[in-house]
Amino acid sequence: MFKRLFPILLLLGLIVAAPLVLRRDTDVAEAGQGDDRLVIITPHNDSIRTEFGEAFAAWWKGQTGRTVFIDWRAPGGGGDIKRVLDASFGAAKALGKEGTEFDVFFGGGDKDFIEQASKDRLVPLEVFEKHPEWFGDDKLPAVFSGQEYYDKDKRWVGVCVSQFGIVYNRDAIGWLKVNPPRKWRDLCHPAYFGRVALADPTMSSSVNQAFEMMIQEQMQAVIRVKGDTPEAREEGWRNGMLVILGMGANARYFTDSSSKVPYDVALGDAAAGTCIDFYGRTTEDAVRHGRGESRVHWISPPGGTSVSVDPIAVFRGAPNGKVAQAFVTFCLSDQGQSLWNLKPGTPGGPRGRALRRLPVRKDLYTPERLANFTDPDALPFERAGEFVYQPDLTAPAFNALRIIIRAMCIDPQDELKAAWKWSVVDRGGPADMVFDLSEVGYGKVMNEWVPLTQKKDVLETARKTTELSRSFRDQYRRIAEGKGAKP
Amino acid sequence: MKRWQAVFITAGVSLVFLVFFIYPAVSVLSEAFRGSDGAFTMAYVIEVFRNPVYVEGLVNALLLGGVSTLATLMLALPLALMTHRYDFMGRKLLSALILVPLVLPPFVGAIGLAHVLSVTGSLNGLLIDMGLMDPADRIDWLANGKFWGIVVMNALHLYPILYMNIVAALANMDPAMEQAAENLGASPARRLFRITLPLAMPGIFAGSSIVFIWAFTELGVPLVFNYTRVAPVQVFQGIRDLGQNPSPYALVAVVLLISATVFAVTKFFFGRNTSGAQPRPKGRDSEIRLTGVKSLGAAMVFAGVFLVASIPHAGVVVLALAGDWYDSVLPHVWTLDHFKEALGDPLVVPSIENSLLYASIATLVATVLGLAIAWVVVRGNIRGRGLLDAMVMLPLAVPGLVLAFGYLALSREGKPFHFLLTMAGGSPILLLIAAYAIRRLPYVVRAAVAGLQQSNPAMEEAARSLGAGPLRTLRRISLPLIGANVAAGSILAFAFSMLEVSDSLVLAQQAQDYPITKAIYTLLSTLGNGHELAAALGVWAMVFLGVAIVGATRLGGKKGGLFKM
Repeated sequence: MFKRLFPILLLLGLIVAAPLVLRRDTDVAEAGQGDDRLVIITPHNDSIRTEFGEAFAAWWKGQTGRTVFIDWRAPGGGGDIKRVLDASFGAAKALGKEGTEFDVFFGGGDKDFIEQASKDRLVPLEVFEKHPEWFGDDKLPAVFSGQEYYDKDKRWVGVCVSQFGIVYNRDAIGWLKVNPPRKWRDLCHPAYFGRVALADPTMSSSVNQAFEMMIQEQMQAVIRVKGDTPEAREEGWRNGMLVILGMGANARYFTDSSSKVPYDVALGDAAAGTCIDFYGRTTEDAVRHGRGESRVHWISPPGGTSVSVDPIAVFRGAPNGKVAQAFVTFCLSDQGQSLWNLKPGTPGGPRGRALRRLPVRKDLYTPERLANFTDPDALPFERAGEFVYQPDLTAPAFNALRIIIRAMCIDPQDELKAAWKWSVVDRGGPADMVFDLSEVGYGKVMNEWVPLTQKKDVLETARKTTELSRSFRDQYRRIAEGKGAKP
Repeated sequence: MKRWQAVFITAGVSLVFLVFFIYPAVSVLSEAFRGSDGAFTMAYVIEVFRNPVYVEGLVNALLLGGVSTLATLMLALPLALMTHRYDFMGRKLLSALILVPLVLPPFVGAIGLAHVLSVTGSLNGLLIDMGLMDPADRIDWLANGKFWGIVVMNALHLYPILYMNIVAALANMDPAMEQAAENLGASPARRLFRITLPLAMPGIFAGSSIVFIWAFTELGVPLVFNYTRVAPVQVFQGIRDLGQNPSPYALVAVVLLISATVFAVTKFFFGRNTSGAQPRPKGRDSEIRLTGVKSLGAAMVFAGVFLVASIPHAGVVVLALAGDWYDSVLPHVWTLDHFKEALGDPLVVPSIENSLLYASIATLVATVLGLAIAWVVVRGNIRGRGLLDAMVMLPLAVPGLVLAFGYLALSREGKPFHFLLTMAGGSPILLLIAAYAIRRLPYVVRAAVAGLQQSNPAMEEAARSLGAGPLRTLRRISLPLIGANVAAGSILAFAFSMLEVSDSLVLAQQAQDYPITKAIYTLLSTLGNGHELAAALGVWAMVFLGVAIVGATRLGGKKGGLFKM
C-alpha cells in the first residue's frame, strides 16, 4: 500500500510546494496584525488594490507611525457591490445601527455613488475642508465636460478619470476591408456583421453611460444645426437609437466582463469593440512586439465621449472613519494621484505594474510628471474639449435607456441579426428606412418610460419590457421575411 | 432498519437540507412571488411564460440537456463497457486518465477553448497551414457552432460523471447473469440489451440524471459560444441586471420545477431497484484479455477520447506558457514567467490552503449526509422519501448565485446564519463549507443510491440478525458493498468543491479567506496578462486535482481500480 501511496504523495507534495517556494512578500500588514484597520469595498482590479494598499500603508505609517491592515472586499462589479451593500445596510437598519462593516467605497461609476448618497449611506468628506487648495477649475473641477466630478454635498469625489472608446484589431479590420473606426457609428457598417464586441449596459452603469453618450453625440449634432427644438431632439435621439441598433445588430454579444471585449479584439474574434480607456491601452501594449506597432488600437471617438470619474466615498457609521477619511485624502494627494499613471519603479510610482488610470487633478499633468507617466499622451482634459455632456437632454432617461437597449437589441438579438443581415448586409438597405423605431422615440420615452422607471413598479416595468421586446422581435421577423417593418 | 431509526435519520437530513438549502434558496426566490404591495403573486411566473424569449430559452435549455445527455451516454457507455469487459494495454492508467477532463478550472477553461476555436486560433491556424483555409476568409467557429458546439463540449466535459457511475454499476453486477445468458445462446447484442444494461440501469440513471440537470442548467459553455437564448444564461444575466427585476428568479423557480419533474418521471421509468434478491458476485471474473491489434485498438479509443476531451485543458496549459499566442497553431514565444508571477502572488498559498480545507470538510459532510439520504431513499419505508430524493437533486439546478446571495443576506448581522460567521471568528469558512456540501450533495446521493439499489439487503439483514448494530452493519457490510459508488460520488464532490465559483466569489470577501477559484478570478483582472496568470494558476489546480483523482482511482481498488471493489 505504502509503495503505491508514496509516489502519489510525493507528486502532490511537489505540486503544493511550488507556490510555497515562489511566494512573494508584501508590506501590507497581515489580517488582524495592523494597529489600524480599513474595510474597503471596490470593483477595482487586484493591481490597483495591491498598489494603493501598499502605498497607503506606507503613507499612514509615515503620518502616524502606525501600521494598517486593509481589508479589501471585491465581490464583483457595480451590481454585485450594490447587492452586498443593500444586504448589509438592510440588516444594519433592522438592528437600529447606522453603519455596516464597510468604511470606504472605492471605484465604479458616479451613478453608483449617486445612488448610495441618495440612500443616505455616505458622509461628507473631510478632504474638502483640509485641502481646499486641491479643488478648483484648474485643479479638481466640480464639473468638467458636463460631468460632475464631486457631489454638491461633498459626499463623494472623483479620484481618477476615464473615457469609453473603441478598441479595434488592425488585422481583423483588414480582413473586413474597412477603414479603422473613428466614430461610434462606424461600428454600424455592415462589414462588421458579427464582429463587434459590446459591453452590456444592463449590468454596468458606466457602460450604460457610454450608450447615453452615443445618443448625446447624435442629438447635439442635430441641435447644433437645427437649434434645440422638440423636433431636433426627436431627430437626434432617433439617430442615436439607430447607431445603437446598428451596433447591436453587428454585435457578436453583449458581455458583462470588462476585460472580455479587448481580449476578444486582440484575438481577432471581434474586429472592434467598446471598452474603457485603460483596458484598451493596456491590451494595446500587451500585444505589442518590441517597439513595433501593436495590432490592437484604442481610440476615443472625437465628440462622442465624455471624461467621467471613478469616485471614492466614506460610509455613514464607518467603524474606522478616521482612517477612511485619511484614505480619501491620500487618494487625492500628489502621491496618491501620481500612483494612477506613473511608470512602475519610478519614484512614487507603483511597485509592481502600471495602473494605466489617469489622475483627476488637472494640476498634476505637468511636463515633469508626464515624462514619467505610462500614458503621457492620453491628456484627457485637453482631448475631451469637443464634447460636453448635457444632462437635460438624456439624463432623465438614463434608467429607461438600459431597458430599451435590452428590449431592442439584447433580448431579440437573434431576430435583429437576421433582419439586419437580410436588409442591410445582403441588400444594402438604409437602416433608417428599414427599421421602425417609433416605439422608442424621444417623446414616448420621456413621457412613458421615464415616469415608469421613476415609479419603481418592477412588475409593470417587467410587463412593459416584455411587450416592447416582443414588438421588436415581431418587427425583426417581418423584416427578415421581407415583409417590411410594419404589419 | 427500525422505523424510529428511519424516522430519525429522515428528520435529521431533511432538517439540514431545509435549513441550508431550501431556506436560503426560498429567501432569494421569494422575491419572484412578492408583489409591490408585499402580497403573494404569480405575476412574475406568468411573465416568464408571456415572454417568448424566456420560453425559447427554456425550450433550448431542455433540448441542450436532453441532447447533451444522449451524446454523453454515447461516449461514456462504450468506454465503461470496454473497461468492464476487456483487459487491454495500459487499461489501469487509461481508465484513470479518462476521468481527468472533468477537472477544468473555471473562467480559464473558456479562455483555453477560445484560443483553439478563435478565428486566429489553433484550429484555423492548422487549417491555414495545411492549405485548407484562406487566411482572409476564416471560419468563426464560436459564432457558428452554438448549439452543437455546446453539445459536443458538454459531452466531452461530462462523460466522466456518467462513466464513473456506469463502471461502478457494472462492477456491482453479478457476472453469472451474463454468463448464463451466454450459455443459453444469447448474442452479445442481446446480452447487452437484455441483461447488462437493465442490471446497470441504476448507475446509468444516476449519472444521466446528474448530466441532464448539469447540461440543462449549464452556464459556462453557452457563454463561451455566446449562446444567450438559453435559460441559465438568461437567469445569470437577469440576476445581475441593475434593474433588479425579479423575473429571473421566477425563471429559476420554473427551471427547478422542470428539473424535479424530469428527474421524477425518468426515475419512475429507469431508476427502479434492480437488485432483487440476487447475491452479490464473489469474484467470478468475466473479463476477456485482449492482445495484439485489438488491445492496441482499445487503448487508442481511450487515449483518443482523453486527448479530444483535453483540448480545452491543453488550451489553458499552452496559454499559461505563451508569450503572445495569436494567429498560429502554437505560440511563437514560450515563457515560464506567468507561472512564476501567478504562483508567487501572495494570494495563492492561502487560497490553496483554504480550498483544501473547505473542499475536504465539505466532501466529508456531503458524504455523511448523502449516505444517510441514500439509506432513507433506498432502504427506508417512510412515505415521501421519493420527494426527498427528487429535492436532493435541486442543488444541481439552482444557479450558484441564487444560493450564494441567499447565504450572503442571511449571514448579515442580526440574521439567522450570522452565528456561522461569529462561530468562525468572522471567517466565512462554515458558510462556504455548508454551501459547498449542499451543492455537491447530489453527486454522493446519486452514487450511493445506485450502490444500495444494486447491493443485496439480505446481507445487511443477516448482519443485523447476528447481532450487529446499525453503525456496525453500515461500517462492516453496507459501506464495503457500495464503497466504489461512494468513492465515485465523493471524488466528484471534492473536485467540484475545489472548483466552486459562485459561493466562492460572493461569500469569500476577505483576501485571507479566498479559495483558489476566487484567486483565479482575482488574477484574471490583472491588467495586461491577467488571462495568462489566471491560466497558470488554473493549470496548477488542474494538475493537483488530476493527480489526486488518478491517485485515488489507483489506490482505491483492491484490484487496481477504484470501481472494481
